Amino acid sequence: MNPASWTRRQQVERTIAAVALVLVIIWPAAGFSSYWTHQILIETFLFGIAASSLIFLSAYGGMVSLAQTALFGIAGIILGNIATKGGPGGTSKGLHLGWDPTLALIVAIVGTTIIGLIGGAVASRSTGIYFLMITLTYSVIATYTLGQVTKISGFSGIGGINRYTPGWIGNLLAHPNRLYYIALGTAIVVYVLIRLVIRTPFGISLQGVRDEPIRMSSLGYAVPLHRTLAFGFAAFIAALAGVLYAWWAGQVAPGDVDLPQTISLLIMAVIGGLIRIEGAWVGAFAFIIMQNYITSNTHVPLLGFGGTLFGGSFNTIIGIIFLVIVVVSPDGLMGLWGRIFETRHRPDTGESPPTPAAEPAN
Amino acid sequence: MKTHKLRSWKAAVVLAVAAAAVAVWATTSLAASGAVKPVKVAIMTDCKGAFAFGYEEDIGGAQGAFARFAGGVTKSHAKPSAGMTGIKAGQTPIQIVGYGCGNDTVPLAVTETKRLMEKLNADVEIGPLSGDEAVYTANYAKAHPTKVFIIGTAGSQDPTMQIHPNNMFRYHGDGAQWNAGIGEIAYKKLGWRKAAIIEDDYSFGWTSAAGMIADFCAVGGDIVKRVFAPLNTTDYAPFVRQLPPPNQVDGYFSTIGGTGTSAMLKAFEQAYGKPEPKQWIGNLFFGFLGADKVVAPKFVGSYVGGFGNAPGVHTPTMDAYRAFMNKLYPKLPADDGFVYNYYMAAWALVQGLQKAPGATGAKLDAALPRAIKGAPFQLSGGGVLHLDSRRQAIQDEYQLQLVKNPDGSVGPTVVAYVPTVDQSFGGLFTPSSPPPGRTQPPCKKVVTPWQGKIQVVTNGKVTTQVIK
Repeated sequence: MNPASWTRRQQVERTIAAVALVLVIIWPAAGFSSYWTHQILIETFLFGIAASSLIFLSAYGGMVSLAQTALFGIAGIILGNIATKGGPGGTSKGLHLGWDPTLALIVAIVGTTIIGLIGGAVASRSTGIYFLMITLTYSVIATYTLGQVTKISGFSGIGGINRYTPGWIGNLLAHPNRLYYIALGTAIVVYVLIRLVIRTPFGISLQGVRDEPIRMSSLGYAVPLHRTLAFGFAAFIAALAGVLYAWWAGQVAPGDVDLPQTISLLIMAVIGGLIRIEGAWVGAFAFIIMQNYITSNTHVPLLGFGGTLFGGSFNTIIGIIFLVIVVVSPDGLMGLWGRIFETRHRPDTGESPPTPAAEPAN
Repeated sequence: MKTHKLRSWKAAVVLAVAAAAVAVWATTSLAASGAVKPVKVAIMTDCKGAFAFGYEEDIGGAQGAFARFAGGVTKSHAKPSAGMTGIKAGQTPIQIVGYGCGNDTVPLAVTETKRLMEKLNADVEIGPLSGDEAVYTANYAKAHPTKVFIIGTAGSQDPTMQIHPNNMFRYHGDGAQWNAGIGEIAYKKLGWRKAAIIEDDYSFGWTSAAGMIADFCAVGGDIVKRVFAPLNTTDYAPFVRQLPPPNQVDGYFSTIGGTGTSAMLKAFEQAYGKPEPKQWIGNLFFGFLGADKVVAPKFVGSYVGGFGNAPGVHTPTMDAYRAFMNKLYPKLPADDGFVYNYYMAAWALVQGLQKAPGATGAKLDAALPRAIKGAPFQLSGGGVLHLDSRRQAIQDEYQLQLVKNPDGSVGPTVVAYVPTVDQSFGGLFTPSSPPPGRTQPPCKKVVTPWQGKIQVVTNGKVTTQVIK
């Protein structure tokens, strides 16, 4: 990391990122709105992690996966079933295994990763739209399994999960800022991890598989294995997000993995930009701001359509924004930023901007 | 010299603004001390999904109580959600900070509850509407002991039986209580011995079914098949096919609700032919069948489970309630449980704040009434509604039957009065028993406290005649 070798764009981006990072680190202590601390920002961190698993697969694996939400929910449900206890004072639904919360956490993450590997193995020989459809099937299977198998979930899901956190994390209900820092820390770790993985031989060959699967296969690379492992890695990341969500919301239900939620995650990723990992958090932030400030009670003139027909104004507005982004800037907000930067950069120095091929992979 | 003057000019302006700010703050804080701080209330309901119709009804019910007992002035007589001002319970101003909009699923309940209780900083939540939202809210209440929760109309058993947080109250029966007596009517009046049941596959569907099953099995009936349809199903054909055909059972119980009730009954007719009304007993959702002009006439004569209210029964207290609500919000059906249950919740809050001005948190938990005198649809105990040890109402219930009204419409009318129904069904349901589910409760012969005490209601009058 030699700052002298950074391009102008990287300098600007990394300065903005540093400022933002400092801001979010000091945010709870600075006494700003606790609603922002405990809702908007924590949601941004954890949904950003989930979106980053989708963007990782899309940008570096060439696979658009609609199963990330399902894996996110599965992690939460496994955690809920294993960690919560029944009986008086406990929660009312689920298997109530009541195991040690740390062990439950490990089982949830490892279990979801294994499910991801199995799912990836099945889907690895398909590409493009067929891969998308297989992952959509996983999402639907998860929704109905959670909804119909009432022993492990049922319609209302598993509740009270945030009352059973590991000892080394402590009581998240009494210390809500702790979850903020855990979510922030995990988001930073996930970001760094993804950036590291794409630089490893596995990551480079994965990008080769993305671009030229037939050539890679003829060179002797096991293309399905690469895709399976990538899917498993993405499942691991989605599991981290799922566990954070279970601790934040306290309850995981089939409504968290159904089709509208799957599409919401995809919208977050697309708004942020499917080409860059940073887009995950940018997109998640934009989506959550809109979701929290344009509620169904906000009747924007002409867009309300009487409320329930379009599910309330929020869905109409987010749909219109999504459409605008896809038409104007298919690479999302990160792509828009890139193009604004390029147009502003040219008149300044008189030099032509670096061509995309020459830019180092971000 | 010029810069020096400019700088001191700027400094003078800054000091003047700061001094003014301090003065304003001092005067307002002096003025505020001495007055009781307003208590912030959020009303959580559904505006989407299967119970979207409940939005205006619930808000109207709660605001009705605020208007009647706390001087609230509604902004619109046609649309309760336009708001209400001037609410003062004794010395305590009540400020409605927001209306929650759920869709009966948990994820939206999560964001809406957090929005109301954390962003808008409400001290009290009146709501939610739906069973599974209430299961989430009960877990949330346990985690947030400084907030107070008064359930709106949610009928799942878990919140006050298994989870029972100290800061959660319910001033109406749960789904099982609402159906108390209906099983006994099926056994004694219709002669049913074997029945099947089709349920909505979620907390309220199970709780409502639990009441029917417990009551029917208690007198000796047998439930031979239980069928579960996911909430928001649109095609009920696969589910009605799982039911035994009409010649193999004496009758069918149903807890299918929302928009699913008529869809399910239509699917049944397509599968098994013309239905026999005396072979069908539905929970409270059968009471809304009248809106479907095709299906409703085919079920005239079917019995309908209660909702804790008594449409068509007249006492001075009931009529005074109806008259007030019809004047305040003419478009709302005052006899509808969605209106009435929220009314009772808001009334309880007013009484609590009258007793302990400005109270929130644990102080308000202690001040909320454990008995409400003059509850419109309570007849027992001189018209007093009591709460049990888990802050759950012990409610009089009314069972109904679908009849053809003089104007040709089909609607429910009260035919039976079941006094003093408690949540435990006489010890069958306890905090350590599993919450109602697909296999809970099992079919057991027990003695419910109201067994043999159900009184016949004719022409809106509760008679002393008991159903034998």
